[in-house]
Amino acid sequence: MKKGVRDNINAYIFILPFAFIFIVFLFLPFIYSIYLSFNQVTDFSDVFGGLSFVGLKNYLFLFRDKEFWWALVVTLYYALIIIPLNIVVSLLLAILLRKRYRLNSMYRTFFFLPFVLDAFVVGIVWTFIYAGRYGLLVNILKPLIGSIYETGFLGNAKTVMPSVALAMTLKGAGFGMILYIAALDGIPKEVYEAAELDGATGLKKLWYITVPLIQPVTTFMVIIGIIGALSAFAEFYAMTGGGPIVYKWGTPLGMTKVTGLYLFNHFSNLRLGLAAATSFVLLVLALGLSITYSKIQRKR
Amino acid sequence: MKKFLWYFSVTLLAIIFMFPFVWMLLTALKEPGTALVLSLPKKLTLYNFKKVLFEFGFSRFFLNSLIVALSSATVSTLFASLAAFAFAKKSFFMKEYLFWLFIASMMVPGLLYVIPQFLIVYKLGWINTYWGMIVPHLANVFGLFLITQFMRQVPDSLLESARIDGASEFKIWWRIMVPLAFPIVATVFLLNFQFHWSNFLWQLIVAQSEEMYTVPVGLAMFKSAHEEAYTLEMAASSVSIVPISLLFIFAQRYFIEGITQGAVKG
Repeated sequence: MKKGVRDNINAYIFILPFAFIFIVFLFLPFIYSIYLSFNQVTDFSDVFGGLSFVGLKNYLFLFRDKEFWWALVVTLYYALIIIPLNIVVSLLLAILLRKRYRLNSMYRTFFFLPFVLDAFVVGIVWTFIYAGRYGLLVNILKPLIGSIYETGFLGNAKTVMPSVALAMTLKGAGFGMILYIAALDGIPKEVYEAAELDGATGLKKLWYITVPLIQPVTTFMVIIGIIGALSAFAEFYAMTGGGPIVYKWGTPLGMTKVTGLYLFNHFSNLRLGLAAATSFVLLVLALGLSITYSKIQRKR
Repeated sequence: MKKFLWYFSVTLLAIIFMFPFVWMLLTALKEPGTALVLSLPKKLTLYNFKKVLFEFGFSRFFLNSLIVALSSATVSTLFASLAAFAFAKKSFFMKEYLFWLFIASMMVPGLLYVIPQFLIVYKLGWINTYWGMIVPHLANVFGLFLITQFMRQVPDSLLESARIDGASEFKIWWRIMVPLAFPIVATVFLLNFQFHWSNFLWQLIVAQSEEMYTVPVGLAMFKSAHEEAYTLEMAASSVSIVPISLLFIFAQRYFIEGITQGAVKG
């Protein structure tokens, strides 16, 4: 056998197990989803064959569906709270932990640990803390919160989203912290020394030197924040189930029925074509928003 | 003074970050019916743990989680490091395109795959089996990426001299590449384990009868069945959180290394 051919076979043997799984469970599903999004399932006993082609019907349905637009609105609302909050808290932790006092690594463990835990389980624990009547927070804050004492923080349309965002920030900020620590370590000391000579003080140094120099990490955080918000599911499934109900646009709508829950709803009702179309719209949105954001950042 | 301020603020923050979990454990250790909020447990009891583990089947769910997470993490790390060897050290037909295709798939949100994966698993008759839970997630692209980057740094001369000594390619992979890349292989293993331990949505879909539930799925079903049994719910949550916490505390270095590497290069 020629050497070139043998080398190729040799290399492909190493790739084969990975590539096989990739093709069967990631690549083909991707292609199949595109196909599925133009179809409707008509026969559930034959999940591959029982499809009828409906053209753009699924996409048009989404375009006209109030609930879908509402899901986008509340997801945007969630993103606008959690992304900045997460960035600020992560950066604060990173700046604090750059001081290498004793016990530094112990504190780092405390901040990072919640990140590796399951969003669903952490959500359940927070449900208990936020609960009305016997919940912990409502009892501490009882004189200040009026009717929230009965509903709990997750049962009130105004407080529910910030509450979920806060819980998930406390769970996830350790991730951003690690990234920011690495970025801060990369800033040369001389930059600060030069700024000090020019009379820059603490906050000025933070705003005019640190923040611009760690911009790549912030951009990364915004992008994964966008993707994370558009696919957020477990935390809302555990904490709110989409509720509480509010009356908007002439119909009852779930205050926290984010895109992840909206998609799951189609899926669990076996509207698979619609679910696939929804996923594609969300994918295009996530890609579009991420690319736009990083373009704007680069121009600045 | 500055030092004092530092200790004060990090301690305060640490208390806020750790509070939910301390509260969870304390509630889980309370006697049932005394879950009322502001009280600390008067008497610590393992009653709730015994009850969820042995009466509500959480010992079985725990075992399922362990089987799924361990075998998925092991096999997917193995697959990724095999492929990484080829991508890092061999040249072959379509190499760049394939690598690009693999990496591009990371941009796609996981939810998109769920429906077709479900259909495939259904067709294979793998609903409600370990196979169905494990096999679809064995191609871990992020892991492949991390290990490939690492293996590129292994000097070619090392491989050449092994080849001259007559070592097979497989032997070179197992005896040279994997040991040299061990830190990143360990990182990938841990990240995989963590991912599978808490892969909630997929297990919720595949596991349909109680003896196949993993811990998060069991918890979800438990939650809807026993709305008010907080002490039990918190005991079940603890069962889910404690193993991954322990793993993390002992292997923290690897977790953090993997995340830093991934973000810096990605």
